[in-house]
Amino acid sequence: MSALIDCEHLEVRFRTEHGDVCAVNDLSFQLQAGECLGIVGESGSGKSQSMLAMLGLLADNGYATGAVRYRGRDILNLPRRELDQLRGDRLAMVFQDALSGLTPTMRIGDQLAESLVRHRGLSRAYAKAKALEMLEIVKIPAPDTRYCAYPFELSGGMRQRVMIAMAMLCQPEVLICDEPTTALDVTVQAQILRLLDGLKRHTGTAIILITHDLGVVAGLCDRVLIMYAGRAVEVGNTADIYASPQHPYTAGLLRSVPTLGGDPDTDLPTIPGQPPDLERLGAGCAFAARCGHTFGPCTEQLPELTRVGPAHIAACHRVNGP
Amino acid sequence: MSDTVLQVEDLSVHYDVRGGGLLNTRKRTLKAVQQVSFELRAGETLGVVGETGCGKSSLGRAVLQLVRPANGRVVWQGRDLCGLSDRELRPARKDLQVVFQDPLSSLNPRMTVGEIIAEPLRIHQPELSAAERTEKAAEMMTRVGLLPDLARRYPNEFSGGQCQRVSIARAMILEPRVIVCDEPVSALDVSIQAQICNLLRTLQRDTGIAMIFISHDLSIVRYMAHRVLVMYLGRLMELGSRERFFARPCHPYSQALLAAVPEPDPGRPVSQYADPLPGDVPSPLDPPSGCVFRTRCEHATPVCVSQQPALELAEDGHEVACHHWRRLGGHGAAT
Ligand SMILES: Nc1ncnc2c1ncn2[C@@H]1O[C@H](COP(=O)(O)OP(=O)(O)OP(=O)(O)O)[C@@H](O)[C@H]1O
Ligand code: SF4
Ligand code: SF4
Ligand SMILES: [Mg+2]
Repeated sequence: MSALIDCEHLEVRFRTEHGDVCAVNDLSFQLQAGECLGIVGESGSGKSQSMLAMLGLLADNGYATGAVRYRGRDILNLPRRELDQLRGDRLAMVFQDALSGLTPTMRIGDQLAESLVRHRGLSRAYAKAKALEMLEIVKIPAPDTRYCAYPFELSGGMRQRVMIAMAMLCQPEVLICDEPTTALDVTVQAQILRLLDGLKRHTGTAIILITHDLGVVAGLCDRVLIMYAGRAVEVGNTADIYASPQHPYTAGLLRSVPTLGGDPDTDLPTIPGQPPDLERLGAGCAFAARCGHTFGPCTEQLPELTRVGPAHIAACHRVNGP
Repeated sequence: MSDTVLQVEDLSVHYDVRGGGLLNTRKRTLKAVQQVSFELRAGETLGVVGETGCGKSSLGRAVLQLVRPANGRVVWQGRDLCGLSDRELRPARKDLQVVFQDPLSSLNPRMTVGEIIAEPLRIHQPELSAAERTEKAAEMMTRVGLLPDLARRYPNEFSGGQCQRVSIARAMILEPRVIVCDEPVSALDVSIQAQICNLLRTLQRDTGIAMIFISHDLSIVRYMAHRVLVMYLGRLMELGSRERFFARPCHPYSQALLAAVPEPDPGRPVSQYADPLPGDVPSPLDPPSGCVFRTRCEHATPVCVSQQPALELAEDGHEVACHHWRRLGGHGAAT
């Protein structure tokens, strides 16, 4: 079975005053139909830029190399028009800030219908009925009334539902969500996670979920990809990685999250230091300055992703070495 | 243990706002905090939790008189701070400090980090020489985990976590008695959050400072707080010890909050979460009658619509505002 999305050696660079900055480095992963893949990492680790690159949405000073195949077809350097078509239709994205994805001066129902007319060539009347149905599917209360609302009249949770409705309209095969619940309250977040989980189960849509919240990943994702300083450092099934993380960064991250079950009277284990400056990365492992297991090759040689279990890979010299 | 440092009684905060929609310019009153009472004890951390717009930050600011409360009292060393002029407040300000969420924007970009940390000394201890101030600032930097060599740098050269250390150093340099931390780790990376939480705990252990720790993250509050205060739409819902609150929350809202926390446990997928609360938080401009939580509460009865529940005392000094807490609470709820 070939993958729905096959991303190979994706590299994203930005031209800046100080020369080129490499934001994403040699990123490879596959997304299978119907699965949910989590992408986790610190701020600036390249989570968002890798997804934006896949969809041709990088800022003007950015450029991507490598290959991103959707059903076997390389979409990384597709002409703008073809990419626009694909994006509205087969691949859709939801952002953290739902307001930025909606037109402020247009009623939300009309925005949904418009998209169906444009991408699917439906008649206005039919598009309107479909849009209404979609508002119901994402559980907007009183959808008939809300159809005529403007984005600013909706709460944050409601706007995020509209964004998801918008993204799901043309029944995409892949839904990319960038921190979809970070701006939301915990009870509303639980509603949205339920919604995404239901979509995955009932429509078979594959989901890529970018988040920094390891609780959200555990609740929703089948597999997880951990990024550090622009690179994937560990990829595997969520259950395997949480049970036995192989990369010291992943292990440190999992330990440092306070949980409802932990002992609140002892200090949290921490990862010392802070993420490195992408403009000043050395030759070795980018995590070396914060890692408690550093040895010989760590500061000289870049660790490569190595198999550590069936469907589990990690990029750390310790995995092979002592 | 239970010496009261700060007594807050019936505190309310109101804001004048203009309308809701585009053309609506009618002046209205937003009641951000309504009749909240609690005491802060020496050496303890009181966690304040709740969702967006529930009044957590307004409460914190009103305690410090950074916004002036509409009603109520904040008793500090036998005096009610609410009636005092800014000048009269000055001695109290020295003892009551604050750390905000957004680390970078709360620091003056034109001052060096050393100057920022020493600034409160310049205001409150003018008798100190410049050299003494610098020395104290350097000491403080070491205590919060910053190299004193960095004193001449500017905030924009610092990461979020480092900026938060600077804010903490500035807040602690006068050796205050109370510190209000308003979402101090929410803007930070997970690996940095734990560092800052540990730092605050260490400082508290060393100085005995009392802390009000405002956060929407219950897992972090459990780790930071000795007691927990839950707010919803400006009102206090529940207040009690950490042990009791997390083991047996009494209020239906607290139970729902706890059940919605995504735990980093792949054995507990979203599909197994308890049903999430329906709907959204109502507008604070137009709160429901009776119990403000009733529009989302599955246990609501007619009395919840007509009557606002009073704060009642449960066992262990636990306080709860719900008509039906006896029936609903206290049996190891949130599972
Ligand atoms: N237009 C741009 N020009 C230069 N550098 C950029 C540009 N856009 C992004 N970057 C850099 O690319 C790197 C990766 O950014 P990215 O947004 O992918 O991080 P992220 O993992 O999504 O972080 P966050 O958790 O903060 O959203 C960062 O160092 C960022 O500063
Ligand atoms: S390669 Fe070395 S420095 Fe990097 S994570 Fe592994 S042990 Fe640590
Ligand atoms: S008073 Fe009524 S509506 Fe309010 S929390 Fe209790 S049961 Fe629910
Ligand atoms: Mg991002």
